[in-house]
Amino acid sequence: MADTAAAEKPQKPLPRPSPESVPYWEAAARHRLEIPRCNACGNYWFPPSASCPHCLSTHFAWTQVSGRGKVFSFVVFHRVYHPAWEGDVPYVVALIELEEGPRMLSNVVGIPVDQVTCDMPVKVVFDDVASGVALPKFTPA
Amino acid sequence: MSSVLDLSAADAASDLRDRCAIVGVGNSRLGKVPGVSSLDLLVEAMRNAIADSGISLSEIDGIVCRGPDDAYGHHQLIGARLGINARFSTTLDNGGASQIMSIILAVFAIRAGMAKTVICGYGRDAWSRTHATEEARVRNETRPASQRPREFGPEYGYFGAPAAHAFGAQRHMALYGTTREHFAEIAMAFREHALRNPDAMMKKPMTREDYFAAKMIVAPFCMLDCSLRSDGAGAVIVASTERARDLKQHPVLIKGFGTHNNLRGWFNDDNMVNTAAGPSGKTAYRMAGLGPADVDTAQIYDCFTYMVLTQLEDYGFCKKGEGGDFVSSGALRMTGALPTNTSGGQLSECHAEGMLQICEGVRQLRHTYPSARQAKDAEIALISGHGGNQVCHSTLILGRA
Repeated sequence: MADTAAAEKPQKPLPRPSPESVPYWEAAARHRLEIPRCNACGNYWFPPSASCPHCLSTHFAWTQVSGRGKVFSFVVFHRVYHPAWEGDVPYVVALIELEEGPRMLSNVVGIPVDQVTCDMPVKVVFDDVASGVALPKFTPA
Repeated sequence: MSSVLDLSAADAASDLRDRCAIVGVGNSRLGKVPGVSSLDLLVEAMRNAIADSGISLSEIDGIVCRGPDDAYGHHQLIGARLGINARFSTTLDNGGASQIMSIILAVFAIRAGMAKTVICGYGRDAWSRTHATEEARVRNETRPASQRPREFGPEYGYFGAPAAHAFGAQRHMALYGTTREHFAEIAMAFREHALRNPDAMMKKPMTREDYFAAKMIVAPFCMLDCSLRSDGAGAVIVASTERARDLKQHPVLIKGFGTHNNLRGWFNDDNMVNTAAGPSGKTAYRMAGLGPADVDTAQIYDCFTYMVLTQLEDYGFCKKGEGGDFVSSGALRMTGALPTNTSGGQLSECHAEGMLQICEGVRQLRHTYPSARQAKDAEIALISGHGGNQVCHSTLILGRA
């Protein structure tokens, strides 16, 4: 019975990469935060795509970033939109602005939900959620 | 990253000022209308708009609409139901900004000689879609799976439109000291309006206590910050101003319009607190030769309370950051400085992605409402549309002829 219950427990969705984002998730699995950086103009961008949205160059390198940033804005989920988060509410989803400029959605962890603020400094941590899959999350710096 | 807004194009568009009019408006049954598809709701609204205008169906030679998110070739399905062919016919894809855009396209088509009488509309079955079965109710999702994000969101538990807009609300609160009290006033004002509208879905008064007791959805939003899941449709008919003068309704002229699209993304730049309503509104004001002080009533796209607050600022009804004080002054009420969403809006009347707000703007300018529902001496109405992934915007300025 216990096994059956475990098998039926709703699972959180894993990221389903696009062709452009595969290297991002491969780096994350190795606990490295890497995003595209343009060889022509030096611009960093996110989410990944095959050309620089600043100069349209297609020459770029996956580049490790500092993992430091700040909470640009955040929300607190009270409603359970997906049954796998039943035990997690309330939880924070934040828009993180990396030191290098780009912004990304993530969770802020390691701090009570009611203490998260806009512009709070944070740093990346990695959550190994499945074999070969780690999610970059953020914690107070 | 936004470039300096070049309004010379709006000067060119001012040639289109007052050349076309809205000659008919109609809505379907609103609220919970089980067993009727969104297509048939829209046809019901179109039938009512045709009757309202006094135009015969055979005169309609243009259709511009936006369909439910999972219908292909929506305008074709509507044309088939109306039993007409059309010289000019298409479907738009700018979310809640599509409805005003459909009127803009109608004006272009009429002025270019590609159509004479264009019907525009939008219908939605969001209540039925999310309540047809228990599974649908729990999933509470109006979009088909193919249109939902696959990464950079769902793995973090990020779902739904309330969260996307709540990010903007939170940032605005941090920058300008905006509070949930301000959001409450917006929700209460529109509910008060809805109580005077017999078609509105919401029938009960809302107090401040009701607002603060409401279930939190995605903070800072509670249930009452969120627009309705409803079934309903609206439609309007656009024709030349000359034609409008021979028809049965008092003509309502299309004085100005604008669009803007912050395609770099809602989460980029400062788009969450300086929305595309700013440049869209400037374009529309310039075309109309009017400014915010000339507007007598506003119908602002209210998918969420916060979106009203920021758009009031972006449209220049108050300064950026002062939207909270502006709404707290009672400005949005029928007796306030700017009676807004006078039908109850999408928060309390029905959510048909802005189409019903266009109908309401027209009705206010016809001066046919009983006095309690009538924005006093309204000569100019501003209507906004917002949508897509929060970055598409459109503005319509109407005037009583």
